[in-house]
Amino acid sequence: MTNNFRSNITPTWCPGCQNYLVYAALQKNFADLKINVDNLIMNYDIGCAGNMADFFKTYGAHTLHGRSIAMAMGEKIVNPNLTVCVIGGDGGIYGEGLNHLVAAARANINIKVFVSNNFLYSLTTGQTSPTTPKGAHTKSTPTGNINEPIHPVELLKTVNQEIFVESVDVKDIPKLNNTIKRALEFSGFALVDITQECVAFGKQLK
Amino acid sequence: MANKVYTFKIAGPAGLGIKSIGQLFSKILIAHGFNLADYSEYPSLVRGGHNTYQISFSLDKVFAPHYQINAFFAINPGHWQQHQSEFNSKTLIFSDEENPESGRMEKGIFYNLPLKTLANEIGSPLVVNTISLGVAVYLLGFDLNLTKEIVCGFYQKFSDLNSRAIQAGYDYAQTNFPKCKLDLKTKINPKTDQQLYEGNESYGWGFLAGGGNFYAAYPMTPATGALHFLAAKQEAFPNIKVIHAEDEVGVANMGAGAAFAGARAAVGTSGGGFALMNEAVSYCGVAEIGLVYYLVSRPGPATGLPTWTAQGDLMHAIYSGHGEFPKVVMAPGDIDESFEMGYQSLNLAAKLQTPIIVVSDKFLGESSASTNNLSKIKVKIETGDIETKPSQNYARYKFTPNGISPLTIPGTPNGQFLANSYEHDELGFSTEDAQVSQKMFDKRMAKNKLAIKLAPKANLFGNNTAKTLIISWGSTKGPILEALKDLPNKDDFAFLQIKTLWPINPDIKNIINGFSNTVVIENNGTGQLVTLLKSQFDFNPTKIHLRNDGRPFFPEEIIKLLK
Repeated sequence: MTNNFRSNITPTWCPGCQNYLVYAALQKNFADLKINVDNLIMNYDIGCAGNMADFFKTYGAHTLHGRSIAMAMGEKIVNPNLTVCVIGGDGGIYGEGLNHLVAAARANINIKVFVSNNFLYSLTTGQTSPTTPKGAHTKSTPTGNINEPIHPVELLKTVNQEIFVESVDVKDIPKLNNTIKRALEFSGFALVDITQECVAFGKQLK
Repeated sequence: MANKVYTFKIAGPAGLGIKSIGQLFSKILIAHGFNLADYSEYPSLVRGGHNTYQISFSLDKVFAPHYQINAFFAINPGHWQQHQSEFNSKTLIFSDEENPESGRMEKGIFYNLPLKTLANEIGSPLVVNTISLGVAVYLLGFDLNLTKEIVCGFYQKFSDLNSRAIQAGYDYAQTNFPKCKLDLKTKINPKTDQQLYEGNESYGWGFLAGGGNFYAAYPMTPATGALHFLAAKQEAFPNIKVIHAEDEVGVANMGAGAAFAGARAAVGTSGGGFALMNEAVSYCGVAEIGLVYYLVSRPGPATGLPTWTAQGDLMHAIYSGHGEFPKVVMAPGDIDESFEMGYQSLNLAAKLQTPIIVVSDKFLGESSASTNNLSKIKVKIETGDIETKPSQNYARYKFTPNGISPLTIPGTPNGQFLANSYEHDELGFSTEDAQVSQKMFDKRMAKNKLAIKLAPKANLFGNNTAKTLIISWGSTKGPILEALKDLPNKDDFAFLQIKTLWPINPDIKNIINGFSNTVVIENNGTGQLVTLLKSQFDFNPTKIHLRNDGRPFFPEEIIKLLK
């Protein structure tokens, strides 16, 4: 099968990583919605999810950590005809880049943000993230996380009720596909919070 | 015989229109044929405090404001007191108070100008500034009708009130200060094409002339003028987008996204904001995104002196961004060069595909001067090496001898690539290969050579057989040139203004080595240009003159230093 969107590079994620499911669901939806590969920009944050950058062959920017949404906003403002997506994790989107996320939601700018939320920093080998449950023992919180976690859907709904923001379990593939589709079709800012478990470091949270 | 330079100054609390009356007076001066250089001081507050506006004007070109004042207007009592070092025995001081008791006033001739009473007669306490202007217009023997025309055009719906205020000031001066009248030659030309611009505005006009179509900023004094100017221009220039983003990190990355998507883009800030932008500077370096950073300095460290001036960010600009990558740092020296660098920086960003930093400062960015109508100047827009019909095997980061690889703009068929913050191969995909990493680094650094060729060359003023070479950069250009006008031994001096501070053109070494005496003048505390030149070649300046108290150099001071 030919695929307009995929690069020739074999993904480097861990065997069993749930980002493969996100990667597949995005390709399926881009194809189903007949998105023109020439007019698609993918912005990738830094992290495991952001490593998807090398596995797509579209216009793309593998940005700085936390800055993928700001970069995407610049692109969309300059050329509203482009389909502008953001791929990131809970660390980059809800932590380092939270100010840009809130700004994009306030502006209701028509960009699509897909967050692989695994409740951890994984590429840096498993530290606590903004969505890590309180009390969790991670490498950076060996005596337990003292912070309340962020709830991204509730948080963003208080920022702007006009935007699209939903959470979906990555293992519910029909729902994942349907949510991504509706996000891509939505005429405004859309964020899909895709919850998953890290195969390498997730057991810390059990 | 050179025409004399006069300096008028007005002072009072914030909120009483000190700056607007200064700018209005400047427009009246321009219509009477004068060239001028303005300077204003204000504290970081909105009401109260002590604001000043001064204008040095002459029928000849004026390169910088003078320190010594000919006529001073204090619109509230006592606002003259802290300026006594700027007075001489002939300075006329007008203030709304009875003559101060002896001892309080050291120099100058004091006149009681009952501003409050006159304003009350007119019916608004807010016109004290305009009444003062009426006095100034009388002293200079200006055309009252022409003056009123300009005042009415400026104040629009308050034109009647201000017209009466001008008349009241004029009449009061005619009755009470006839001896103060200055015998001044004018060259009335109401249709003159000369205009008044702040440095930030002239940068903005250059940006527009150069096809700039995306500008983002977060408010930060003294760079905010460019944001205000360009934001207000969006109606007249519908293809430009001006964004006030959430913070400087957002600004810089939004700018990178805009440039990546094909815009001719710039972002503006001062030193603190630029510190926040540094990571994005580095990203644009590695991903080869041509973005312009308009850095208008103020004294640091940290919040520093927000509304004052310094040239303290030269090294900050040159070493901005982690890692090693090519960039251009250039500094305009006056209003006209602010305009030039507004478009030159966009052209360089397009051609070099790397960060271009334009370093101005409060003294240049927020001071006004008269020059040609910048809105009418057409410039050459250079778009660089853009690939519009890429082949199937197009490689965005193709290795090339001069380091420039043809660039596609998103939307172009077959042009897909990854603008990668990681080290990458020719397609933009991440690599950790030793050879490719080295080769890609070398390819990028090759652009420095081209940058030296394309970036603005240094200006050498004066005779290259002079005894001493003055070396400086940026906004000190004005005070130095103004000092050289009046310096008795001016033929002993030449002046090298370095416009591109990075990369350093090797010609600069040759010029400097042609002089046995060198004097460096910088508006900072450590002599950053000296450090920079020392890093490039064997350089031992004879003298270094620094000023780092938030104030610019004045010509009188430079004359003293050089005598």
